[in-house]
Amino acid sequence: MKIKTIRTLSLTVCLLATPVYAADNKPVDPLNSVMWDYNRQIFLGNADYVFDERIKVGVPEFAEDPTQVPVDVDATALAGNIQRIVSWADLNPIQHIFTYFPHPDVLPRVSLRIKVQQATPVRAAVLTKDGVWHVGSSWLEAAGGGCTTPSVGNANPYWESHLGETKSRIFPQTESNRYKFRVIHPMDTGLVGSIPEFFIQQVELRDDAGSALVRMELSPPVSENPVITFDVRKQAQHHLWLRDNNGNEFEKTL
Amino acid sequence: MMLKSYIRFLLGGLAVLLSTQAWALDYNLKPQKIAPDTYLLQGKMQDFSRKNGGNIVNTAFIVTSEGVVVFDSGPSRRYGEAMRKVIAQVTDKPVLHLFNSHQHPDHFLGNQAFSDATIWALPKTGQQIAQNGNAYAENMYRMVGDWMRATEVLLPTHPLEAKVMMVGEHRFRFFSYTGHTGADLVMLDETTGVLFASDMVFYQRMLTTPHTPGIGTWIKELRQLADTPFKLMVPGHGPVVKDNRAVEQMIGYLKWLDETLQQAAEQGRSMHEVMKTLLPAEFAGINLGREEFVRSVVHLYPDYEEAAF
Repeated sequence: MKIKTIRTLSLTVCLLATPVYAADNKPVDPLNSVMWDYNRQIFLGNADYVFDERIKVGVPEFAEDPTQVPVDVDATALAGNIQRIVSWADLNPIQHIFTYFPHPDVLPRVSLRIKVQQATPVRAAVLTKDGVWHVGSSWLEAAGGGCTTPSVGNANPYWESHLGETKSRIFPQTESNRYKFRVIHPMDTGLVGSIPEFFIQQVELRDDAGSALVRMELSPPVSENPVITFDVRKQAQHHLWLRDNNGNEFEKTL
Repeated sequence: MMLKSYIRFLLGGLAVLLSTQAWALDYNLKPQKIAPDTYLLQGKMQDFSRKNGGNIVNTAFIVTSEGVVVFDSGPSRRYGEAMRKVIAQVTDKPVLHLFNSHQHPDHFLGNQAFSDATIWALPKTGQQIAQNGNAYAENMYRMVGDWMRATEVLLPTHPLEAKVMMVGEHRFRFFSYTGHTGADLVMLDETTGVLFASDMVFYQRMLTTPHTPGIGTWIKELRQLADTPFKLMVPGHGPVVKDNRAVEQMIGYLKWLDETLQQAAEQGRSMHEVMKTLLPAEFAGINLGREEFVRSVVHLYPDYEEAAF
């Protein structure tokens, strides 16, 4: 039994170490997802890509609450060499979660919470300056239903008078400052009967000069009342700018 | 010859499959006599699975001179029916009263087997089961599969407002707590000194937090519970104890959980980062410690984050 485990382990290690290529000479999805090619076509097009373990997609083993699944994407291994990061969940009805454009003064690391409709691979594809996508993946178990459950706010009119209300705090870390904020927004997916999609689409963290340190595009799978963290190297005055798909803009000085 | 042995192999395989199938759907309940007239059906210290059929819970019954009193009915109709068979092997007295300790599915989904009895629950528990019961049942079908066949929610029939009830020569005292789910019934059999602590107390099986009104409330009520004199305490999950060690384990862990979540929020940790926290040695050995800690982070951390802004 023990020998068998070790053999399985070493086999797994081999598989991880050597990329597997399909007949068309494209790397094979280590999670063997039926939606890999479909999503790759949408998000990466025909660009070159590799599956890269240095891109960490942190998810729990099981989605205890399918409307609030924590996801940490960490691409610090490729810091300084990144054009953008795209994250999606293969088996969600709306696959795209976010696109993130990090500035060199920001660590390419972001945490947020998402909705999932069923067990799914969660991806983060990092486009480096040489035009190659580096894809990190994790498998998330889930009972599901997160995208078609009405937002909590739907049963409680609190959000109507507090829409866009933001709380934030800066937490000093050893090598950077962590910016964490929470904004009141229903983040409706449009997949619940008679509730159109209504979600924050753009997030920017801007410095005093108005240039963006972080630029992020969100999709409806980001959980209601989003809680998002960024890690910024520079110590300076920043403010947060948000815009939803109805054109509401929200600003807050951090 | 080859073909013959191949067929024999196939038939043999089929027979094994059928027999394990039959074995797999038997809860095989074994009553333990833990005090005079008092029998415990101790569940496994596991999570719901297709292997255990949801039998992860402690249920009990007390045979009084008048009839039988049952504390919790288990996770499925099949369990409830198996429980009735066990009771019938011990006594031919009728089952008079069933108490559902709280709204969680492993404590009331066996109710269908007790439709001839009065089914009591705290008034709020009755409302919670009416509201959430079907969703719980659906989730149980998903998690344990065919064990659930024909299980439907049978609501408690009587809201329990009394503090004391005499059944035969047994005098039962009821305590209404909230720490685990917002409405948690604890029952003391004053005649035998057995305290049925329901899921207010877990022992050697990590506690669950999906509906707790807050760690502070739970700790406060555990301290009150610890002041109740008893001879034997039956936790909702885990082995029976004669002293307050189970309550102390609960309080110790809950305090650690509270401090850990508070500190993490003060450091700006993300929810997923908090999930990676290692349990201290004293809690790491508790069954499902890691799994339940991760679940608790999902249930509780957003409020700590909110407070830290």
